[in-house]
Amino acid sequence: MVDVMSIADGVNTVWVLIVSFLIFFMQPGFALLEAGQVRAKNAGNVVMKNMMDWSLGVLVYFVVGAGLASVAAMLTSGQALDVGAAFAYISSPGNWVGWLFGAVFAMTAATIVSGAVAERIKFSAYVFMAIAMTAIIYPVVQGFAWSGGLLAGSGFLGQLIGTGYQDFAGATVVHMLGGVAGLVAAYMVGPRRGRFDENGNPRPIPGHSVVFAVVGTFILAFGWYGFNVGTQASVLTANVDAETLAFNGAALGRVALNTTLAMGIGAVGSTIVTTMQEGKPDPLFAANGLLAGLVAITGACVHVTWWGALAIGLIGGVQTPIVYRWVVNNLKIDDVCGVFAVHGSAGAIGTILIPVFAVAGFSATQLAMQIAGVLVIAVWTIVTTYVALSIAKGVWGLRVDEDEEELGLDRGEHGIEAYPEFVDEGVVTDGGVRTDGGEEVEE
Amino acid sequence: MSDSESEIKMIVAYIRPDKLSEVKQGLAEAGAPSLTVTNVSGRGSQPSTTEQWRGEEYVVDLHQKVKLECVVADTPVDDVVDAIREAANTGEPGDGKVFVIDVEDAVQIRTGKTGPEAV
Repeated sequence: MVDVMSIADGVNTVWVLIVSFLIFFMQPGFALLEAGQVRAKNAGNVVMKNMMDWSLGVLVYFVVGAGLASVAAMLTSGQALDVGAAFAYISSPGNWVGWLFGAVFAMTAATIVSGAVAERIKFSAYVFMAIAMTAIIYPVVQGFAWSGGLLAGSGFLGQLIGTGYQDFAGATVVHMLGGVAGLVAAYMVGPRRGRFDENGNPRPIPGHSVVFAVVGTFILAFGWYGFNVGTQASVLTANVDAETLAFNGAALGRVALNTTLAMGIGAVGSTIVTTMQEGKPDPLFAANGLLAGLVAITGACVHVTWWGALAIGLIGGVQTPIVYRWVVNNLKIDDVCGVFAVHGSAGAIGTILIPVFAVAGFSATQLAMQIAGVLVIAVWTIVTTYVALSIAKGVWGLRVDEDEEELGLDRGEHGIEAYPEFVDEGVVTDGGVRTDGGEEVEE
Repeated sequence: MSDSESEIKMIVAYIRPDKLSEVKQGLAEAGAPSLTVTNVSGRGSQPSTTEQWRGEEYVVDLHQKVKLECVVADTPVDDVVDAIREAANTGEPGDGKVFVIDVEDAVQIRTGKTGPEAV
């Protein structure tokens, strides 16, 4: 007699492990993407932040975060509070693969923040923020949306509106949360020296490697297959009574196709916009658009049609350069890697649009729930990020001092240089002086 | 030490980086193969250019050049200058400049020879 349950569990568990490793591999993607967009004198600090939010984060998420997600769900859905049950995974080996799968999502949310506050946040303040993200800020939202809490069909808000919040793999739960936290953090830390002149006009601070940024983007996109396709965690479904196994090929196919189409059209969309705005296609914004297409489809990929995925990915890509400009010009916030445009706004828009392009057809109730869910997550993230960084500000201060910022955080915070044999003060963007009497020439 | 101050000359040239190889070839043919090369950036008659980062434009008015130093004693200076000009000329602003400087004395470190012999 074949134990179909064990076969299904075995195949599904191996699949979840593989995608967890893939999602973990997004960490070097983030490291390269962010390091490339900062000056060489801060590259070591950026990768150090990336290592520490992962390393400290997994410890914090094991001891606190994963349990707190269940507590948050219990408290907002009318279930009895049972702290012992919420933290039972710690002594239950059968739950550890699931814990790892949860952890790699939590660390992705945490690491997004580092790109927004790069080149001037104190390392101590950043580490504290990463701990707050993995202990409380992210787990509560995870509990709200995915563990039957506030936003789920069984949660208080879900019951009130009459349906559960849809965010399949975390366009808002992970990415918008990270993007919004990054925006708030970048606002609180303040812009880098020289990012805005005395009249408030933005002055660019070019990063040191577009190639790093693009390679990092591709690594992220590779890991994203784990993120989206892996969230379709059941490859096989067992029917124990009939001793049969059902293969969920259609569901896997939909998330794989929608993820791929959205990333492709996201890069194309942002490239078209930058070509129209700047006169030339911009590789960095193409990379950002590719990621924004992925973010936008992350919550929707299982729910929408393939042409819906194209529409969502296109909107995600097109809005990236536009929202980035708005953050710089109107909010005067120095979001170094554009994490709000890539992760924040793209995640919100893509998730709100799910009912518009749903395979199941349009539902006004679902649309209301999507908007309510996005607002709840955004407000929670803004408030908790503000509180966490206010504490850090009181204890350590948020910014390195001016001398250290000029020297570079590699030397100031860590006593190293990422490129000791290539000391370079970087490109001077002070406006320049004409010495030839002619007009400026486009290169 | 040296009788004639103008016996040894230093030729300092600022040229386009992508012309270095041709200039080296030209100098060798003119009988002045020894040289020192430095990467520098500078501002002259070449127009400034605009670049952009995330759609924000900035002006670049310091252009990458190669600084070339070449000291001669026996080789005629005019030959050296002509060789550099010939090899580095594109006819566009930004080709660079050549300066000729009197060198008071020279010492060869290995042998201790001084004056024109050291060059």
